[in-house]
Amino acid sequence: MLKYIGKRLLQLIPVLIGITFLSFAMMRLAGGDAVTYMYENAGSVVSQEVIDQTKKEYGLDQPFLVQYGRWFAGMVTGDMGTSYVSGQKVYDTFMEKLPATILLTVSSMIVTMLTAIPLGIFSAIRHNRWSDYLIRFLSFIGNSAPNFFAALILMYVFSVKLGWLPVITSENIAASLVLPTLTLAIAMAAKYIRQIRAAVLEELNKDYVTGARARGVRGSVIIWKNVLRASMLTIVTLMALSVGSLLGGTTIVESIFMWDGVGKMAVDAITMRDYPVVQVYVAWMAVIYVAVNLITDIVYHYLDPRVRLGGEQG
Amino acid sequence: MTKKKRGSSSVYRTGTDSVKIRLIVLTVLAALLLLTALCAKYICPYDPYEQNLLLAKQPPGPEHLLGTDRYGRDMFSRILIAGTTSIFSTLILVSITTVTGTFVGIICGWRGGFVDAFLMRISDLFLAFPSLVFALAVAGVLGGGVQNAVLALAVVSWPKFARLARGLTLTQKEAPYIMAARLSGSSTPALLLRHILPNIAGPVLVTAVLDIGTMMMELAGLSFLGLGVQPPAAEWGSMINEGRSLLQIAPWMSLAPGAAIFVTVLIFNLLGDTLRDYLDPEHKKKRGK
Amino acid sequence: MKKKFIAAVLAGAVMISGLSVSVMADKEKTFVYGTTGYSEEMGDAGLNPHDNYSGWSALRYGVGETLFKYNDNMEVEPWLATDYEFVDDTTVKITLRDGVKFSSGRTMDAQAVKECLENLVKVHDRAPSDMKIDYIDADGLTLTIYTTEPCPAIINYLGDPYGAIIDMEYGVQGEGGNANVAGTGPYIAEKVTPTQIDLVKNENYWGGDVKVDKVTVKSFSDGSALTAALQTGDIQGTYGLQYDNYALFDGNPEYTINSCATSRCFFGQFNFESEIMQDQNIRKAIEMGIDKEGFCSVIMEGRGLPAKAAFPDSFSYGNEAVETVSYDPEGAKKLLEESGWKDTDGDGYADKDGQKLTIDWLTYPTRLEQPKLAEYAQATLKEIGIDVVVNNTSDHMTYAADGNFDVYVSSTTTAPTGDPEYFFTSTVVGPKNYGKYENKEVTALTEKLHQAFEPEERAKLATELQQKILDDDGFFFVSHLNMGIVTKSNVKGMAAHPCDYYEITADLDVE
Repeated sequence: MLKYIGKRLLQLIPVLIGITFLSFAMMRLAGGDAVTYMYENAGSVVSQEVIDQTKKEYGLDQPFLVQYGRWFAGMVTGDMGTSYVSGQKVYDTFMEKLPATILLTVSSMIVTMLTAIPLGIFSAIRHNRWSDYLIRFLSFIGNSAPNFFAALILMYVFSVKLGWLPVITSENIAASLVLPTLTLAIAMAAKYIRQIRAAVLEELNKDYVTGARARGVRGSVIIWKNVLRASMLTIVTLMALSVGSLLGGTTIVESIFMWDGVGKMAVDAITMRDYPVVQVYVAWMAVIYVAVNLITDIVYHYLDPRVRLGGEQG
Repeated sequence: MTKKKRGSSSVYRTGTDSVKIRLIVLTVLAALLLLTALCAKYICPYDPYEQNLLLAKQPPGPEHLLGTDRYGRDMFSRILIAGTTSIFSTLILVSITTVTGTFVGIICGWRGGFVDAFLMRISDLFLAFPSLVFALAVAGVLGGGVQNAVLALAVVSWPKFARLARGLTLTQKEAPYIMAARLSGSSTPALLLRHILPNIAGPVLVTAVLDIGTMMMELAGLSFLGLGVQPPAAEWGSMINEGRSLLQIAPWMSLAPGAAIFVTVLIFNLLGDTLRDYLDPEHKKKRGK
Repeated sequence: MKKKFIAAVLAGAVMISGLSVSVMADKEKTFVYGTTGYSEEMGDAGLNPHDNYSGWSALRYGVGETLFKYNDNMEVEPWLATDYEFVDDTTVKITLRDGVKFSSGRTMDAQAVKECLENLVKVHDRAPSDMKIDYIDADGLTLTIYTTEPCPAIINYLGDPYGAIIDMEYGVQGEGGNANVAGTGPYIAEKVTPTQIDLVKNENYWGGDVKVDKVTVKSFSDGSALTAALQTGDIQGTYGLQYDNYALFDGNPEYTINSCATSRCFFGQFNFESEIMQDQNIRKAIEMGIDKEGFCSVIMEGRGLPAKAAFPDSFSYGNEAVETVSYDPEGAKKLLEESGWKDTDGDGYADKDGQKLTIDWLTYPTRLEQPKLAEYAQATLKEIGIDVVVNNTSDHMTYAADGNFDVYVSSTTTAPTGDPEYFFTSTVVGPKNYGKYENKEVTALTEKLHQAFEPEERAKLATELQQKILDDDGFFFVSHLNMGIVTKSNVKGMAAHPCDYYEITADLDVE
């Protein structure tokens, strides 16, 4: 097992190098540089000498490969560079933003699970009755609204019209958390309900369930003890994927609600051409990607020993 | 990543009647959408680009069904025109990713070995790459515009199809009929085209149709962040963004294009779902008789 | 039982906090201010005037003050100084105000100012090349600055936010966005972070009694968030509200809008290396084809004022002093026809020798109004038969430097220090003249401006220069940004200022 994990962690390296190199190259190709941007945003313009001098300070006058080499060497030694915009250590900035993203991840996962698991099971039990149709239809609706549009509607109704909740992150963290959490949970729960319903239905049609029923075991007991357990595989896989993408920061939702997390950091850094921050974001995405794959595999192994470790990953 | 084993015995059987009816209704709806998008230019009541500041920010009414925007342009006409951009660029995007992904996937599944490992590592790379960073870089190099947003999304989306096609190809590879075909001396391209491709086409098609909605939202998302179409061209995502700061003053400016995306995505999602039921009775059975 | 207990505790807590708030309100005046103008992205986080643009924050939030300040007509007035005199071309003698103390307790005298300015030119990026200080003498309250070459604008530069005077003995506490300093202003910063500054009143302020006890400055990165916060009452005053959101507060008695035209100007340069742009009739037609009034009143929702030239009305050499063409689509069409451009193929666009009249309009999105202007101009210029292709890109500098445009629309603060020279030396004859506009007279006049000492003389030259470039149709000026401060109506003493430097002052009061 440990050996397997070690092997998978080794696989992280090429992905990490590849992806950071790619993003490094892309940001350079994209043109426009942080220094010019910085001065421009501040309102007035400075002489070319000052710009050149600042570029030199940041090493932006060096050839591309040298810049990348320096960056990578720095990262290996734990120094991820300094933001062009704030002058802060990129690693510190990142660590500062991460808790907000984690909080949003946890809260939206909880809300999603609390809605999706009961509704999914309920929908499966009552399949093809009107309540099932209703739930499925609602889940289609939830799945078809782009999150930025859902966010706008929630904002319009709850903040602007009703005035119940703050539009953006304010002092009151709990109240600020509601709308972004709901926005994310709506789309995720919609997707989960359908998957959980399918998984539960599949189990319900299996022989052991029919057998247990015949033996007179109560329906609810079968559901909770056997069916749900067997459907865990689906649920856990889904969760791992969602947590992965949420930890990557939901760029649009975080930006709309001014939620000061990793996703908003990425959008801001990209628009400001703050390469070091973009790089740390890209590296983080690579780490999440590999970690999620790894966790899913291990969970599979644990829940379903038939899956051979190191097997297909399709 | 998700381990979905799709029915490999894809000999097409017709689904039940109700599925058939649903499929027909949804296909008609989708066709209507496409038709509207195709003819938008001829059916919009006003010139979608004509500005008239005296009519700026009119609420919806008999003159302007969905109101006007800050330049006094008719929102209804703009939504129609934007539909052309949104729908067709999404279709192009999905076609590109499906074809490229499937092609790569079949090669990987069939050849195995180094080619497989290499292409799969590359697909890993792109799967893990945030599309936003890509979109911005592409916009920077090639300039903004919807075609570049499509390109950016295509680059990060094809691996999904590659993985699907690869998995499906692997299950087909050892099937007896392939052996038979091989023995009868079919060339590899002929084998892939005549036997493998038709047998994996079902699930790929279903995934592609289901992907239309997702991709439309992604594309709109990029436009929403200002990385898609350039003014004065209209696109639903950028229209929502445009109207966002006026949500309190002129809510129709963002709600109307939002509703347009929503309805379109809903139709394509339902179509994809129904198509799956239709092509894959196994799956249908799983979902309950 | 347990529940009841918790409920009781909660109720108690709510009452106590409610009570303490109302008690505090009796004796303490507080003000929470939201701004999009304070952030690391802007380069002005922190209060250290010697670092990048942080001086703006020191000045804006009432911590630091400069030797000279600008009045509403952007003329220089004494502030921490009382008088100045040019002894010769390279020597200026400044008399300082008596009885001013830093918040650290030290008395502000010539020695303290000398230390501060010496550090400024040592560490700041722009100040040394602006002021060209050679060395400084300090004697009591008399400060004598010697420059390496004649620098008539030095008094203006001393009014730039980087010239905020701080106590160097106290030094700079904290770094970057957390830097705190000891200034002479009405407020003292207690806590400084890149997103928030907590201020308390300076009990010993030289300019009299400070009325508000506590001020909190909060940074907002999004205009719509700022709007919402003002509506919910989280903040009582804002700077940098998105221009299309003023309508929500306009005419509402609960709010006061205080606005003023700044020298931030949206303007276009014509590319003289592009063949069609060399035709003056086309250049003139473009300016005549843009409805500046409509753009300012409808698209910018009144947050812009139509511009004739580079400087707003508040300047003596501003809009009123010059003449240019006005919106006249018919006249524009005639001009095009004169040059042989006419719509012969009925596609709605003028053409000549089978070629359509198409111009490349380069601009960039950071300033929200610019893409809007491009989109608007595209429609109005179509009316006169010009096809406008918009290139709205963040990479505009590259395109501009390569001459890859016909019209380049950007915006800049034309008179950051209340002096006209900057605009001409940078944009008209300097490195930012991307359109390669050239007129010998203009170059000569700019040189003359560079050497003129008398303010009247400088104003006259600035007027003459602007008229020349307008007569040549070398540039066109569309709009001056109207900067606004919106507050709850019980907040008094906050005024928008044409140079954007002064926001929280000793005048601030909450009734």
